Amino acid sequence: MIRFDNVTKVYDQNSRPALDSVSVEIDRGDFAFLVGSSGSGKSTFIRLVLKEDRATRGAVYVAGQNVANIPSWRVPKLRRGIGVVFQDFRLLPNKTVASNVAFAMQVIGKSRAVIRETVPEVLKTVGLEGKDHRMPHELSGGEQQRVAIARAIVNKPGILLADEPTGNLDPTTSMGIMNVLDRINQNGTTVVMATHDNVIVNHMRRRVIELQDGRMVRDEAHGIYVGSQEGQPSTEAKESAL
Amino acid sequence: MRLAFILGEIGSGLRRNLSMVVSVILVTFISLTFVGAAGMLQLQINQMKGYWYDKVQVAVFLCVETSTAASCASGPVTDEQRSAIEATLETPAVAQYVASYHFESQTDALEHFREQFANSPIVDSVTADQLPESFRVSLVDPQKYEVINEIFSSLPGVEVVVDQREILERVFSVMNIASLVAVGIAAVMIVCAILLIATTIRLSAFSRRRETGIMRLVGASKAVIQLPFILEGVIAAVIGAVLASLVLWAVARFFIGGWLAQQYPDTAFISDGSVLLIAPGLLLLGALLAGISSLLTLRRYLKV
Repeated sequence: MIRFDNVTKVYDQNSRPALDSVSVEIDRGDFAFLVGSSGSGKSTFIRLVLKEDRATRGAVYVAGQNVANIPSWRVPKLRRGIGVVFQDFRLLPNKTVASNVAFAMQVIGKSRAVIRETVPEVLKTVGLEGKDHRMPHELSGGEQQRVAIARAIVNKPGILLADEPTGNLDPTTSMGIMNVLDRINQNGTTVVMATHDNVIVNHMRRRVIELQDGRMVRDEAHGIYVGSQEGQPSTEAKESAL
Repeated sequence: MRLAFILGEIGSGLRRNLSMVVSVILVTFISLTFVGAAGMLQLQINQMKGYWYDKVQVAVFLCVETSTAASCASGPVTDEQRSAIEATLETPAVAQYVASYHFESQTDALEHFREQFANSPIVDSVTADQLPESFRVSLVDPQKYEVINEIFSSLPGVEVVVDQREILERVFSVMNIASLVAVGIAAVMIVCAILLIATTIRLSAFSRRRETGIMRLVGASKAVIQLPFILEGVIAAVIGAVLASLVLWAVARFFIGGWLAQQYPDTAFISDGSVLLIAPGLLLLGALLAGISSLLTLRRYLKV
């Protein structure tokens, strides 16, 4: 589903590459953690998949297609096949939960009937039944992230990219989010989650791809992660919450 | 559905930036009013040319007692000189240029003079023998004035040959200058309008960067993302153009049609219908201005 073929990304000639000769393949239906400390290249990885940036060397394949060969007018189509979730949720504050999710369908021209039918379904998938008419600021952080996930998957993308989705959440809430992502993965969506939250990684026991200073240092099928803490709640606190 | 969505986006964009939108409307309104005014002046010039050029004549003035010109040194025109001049008009060499001519006697001249200056006290002090007799010559081609001038100004008894067109040309050149000034003001205002539209679109794009960011991520097409911004500018500019057209129409109808035409009944003025000629151009110009400037702005400030 996603294949990196010796990918190097250099933002600035004078500093080290953000990604350095990374080769990795993530299959359809996989659940992969992309781990590493800040600046290790996780976000660059995600940006390359979305064609927000162009690889300096090497090739990025998404759904079998080399993204470098996708003309700019086809990029929206590529992005429709990829859902994205961020640490900071990025909800529209003046729209209700349901409108936030519906927005993702409206802007790609889905009909009103389809939207009316799909939105409640998706909200149910992420565990937000009955909160359709709430405003984002009335929700907890975990609930807001669920809305963001609902928005990311409402167009049924084959790939879900999550960039530190639990970065702003406490351990219990984080686990709730992980359950949602797990459920989405079980429905057949490829999930790639960038994180440096070792508690979650160790708990889930899924594939772990570790980056360090832009280099891939580890790729384990059922890996764990012992990373630096970087402002995360302490391991003990998280473990006691599990 | 997509249309309804885009219209909704435009509506919210216009509301969010109301003061900027109003200023765009006003600036395009003013600039297009000047453009339109220049256009109407040109139409008026054409109208007057058509009207007057049919009527203008070359006047061959004959010497009178009070003439001071060198050619009149030998005193007022004699009967022989007069018939010689008339005979010249009839010769084939001259007749081919002449559509018609008539003789204006001193009494006729006084009558015309009194008509022309009806409201002026000067009328009472002028007598017929102060005014020159003249041959009024209509030319087949008014441009051929030089030929007539050459032939007649050297004939004895002729004081001066006057091309009335020259007097009109002076009026037209004043009007031309006025329309150039209007175009100049319009050009400056249009630059203002373009910059203001660009700024407005930039602000609008900035205030909605959250939405456009999400649109990008979920794969909205470039058109869906950019169209609301472009149409926002176009709508504001078109409203300005409509206002400009209305003002021009009001000027044509109430000032030119209602007042000027009454004051100067023997002058041909453009009618308010001529605004119909100009208004579509203004609308198109406004839409183009806004469309192009917002497209250029979005290319820089709204990456897709």
